Amino acid sequence: MEHKSTPHKSSTEKSLVGEMQQVQLAIDLIELGARLQVLETETAISRAKLIKLYKEVRGMSPPKGMLPFSADWFITWLPNIHSSLFYTIYQRLREAQGCERMAAFVAAFRLYQEQIQLDGSEAVLGLTRAWTLVRFFESDLLQLSGCTRCGGQFVAHAHSPSHDYVCGICQPPSRAGKTRKRQADAVASRLTG
Amino acid sequence: MQTQPLLSEIQELNLAYLLLAQRMLHDDRVSAMFRLKVDDEMADLLLGMGATQLARLSSTNQLLCHFGHESAEQLRQVTHNPRDQGLGRLHASLLMASAPAASTTGPQGG
Repeated sequence: MEHKSTPHKSSTEKSLVGEMQQVQLAIDLIELGARLQVLETETAISRAKLIKLYKEVRGMSPPKGMLPFSADWFITWLPNIHSSLFYTIYQRLREAQGCERMAAFVAAFRLYQEQIQLDGSEAVLGLTRAWTLVRFFESDLLQLSGCTRCGGQFVAHAHSPSHDYVCGICQPPSRAGKTRKRQADAVASRLTG
Repeated sequence: MQTQPLLSEIQELNLAYLLLAQRMLHDDRVSAMFRLKVDDEMADLLLGMGATQLARLSSTNQLLCHFGHESAEQLRQVTHNPRDQGLGRLHASLLMASAPAASTTGPQGG
């Protein structure tokens, strides 16, 4: 075998493996509910291929339209608690375990969903929102503030004062949970009535 | 006081814990390291242990798995939250996920 052909061959193999990993990542993300924009940003796969892949995995065309784009959403009461849980897990995978960015993202989102299912509550944070959250942290729009009561880390606007911060679980706003309770009552009355 | 049944329960739990840890690390290493709160080096060590080593490690009068909550103050905030909105489980999960990260890893940042 010619000596010269070896590096060429190995680089082709490498890119094939790389391509397969990209496709696997795209499949994982689609299964978890990613929008097309997420896939386009995080993989090097062409848009046409991604649409095809999406249809194969989900059995329907990807939804059109803009991504949710508001940092404020992550600060509202229940979304803040869910976002903080997800981001705490993500950060741990990244920093304590040295996990690669997208691998950590997918694993953290699965761990978040798992806890929500155990809890029997609704996954307030969808995958695309979770991805937006990570991007907001990466562009320094958000920060983590430590709750002075429980010590947990919670998502907050960047540069917001955190010296006497108390989280939404230790000190829920007065209206917190009203909607949830109303929904639960409605379900209960439907069951009994 | 009879401590023998207690000691064998501890040893059984230790062995069950180690076997579970190995199985988890085999199946999904990233999630397992998160659930167990162990680093890469520890994960490799645990995976490399044979039955004899696991049995030897298990036979001690102390528990191998440690308590997941950092302090009584923190745990009290979860179990005795006067303004509980049914979010106790999420709260506990969040606190356990974040607990030792700051103290064990230092400022190396991945």
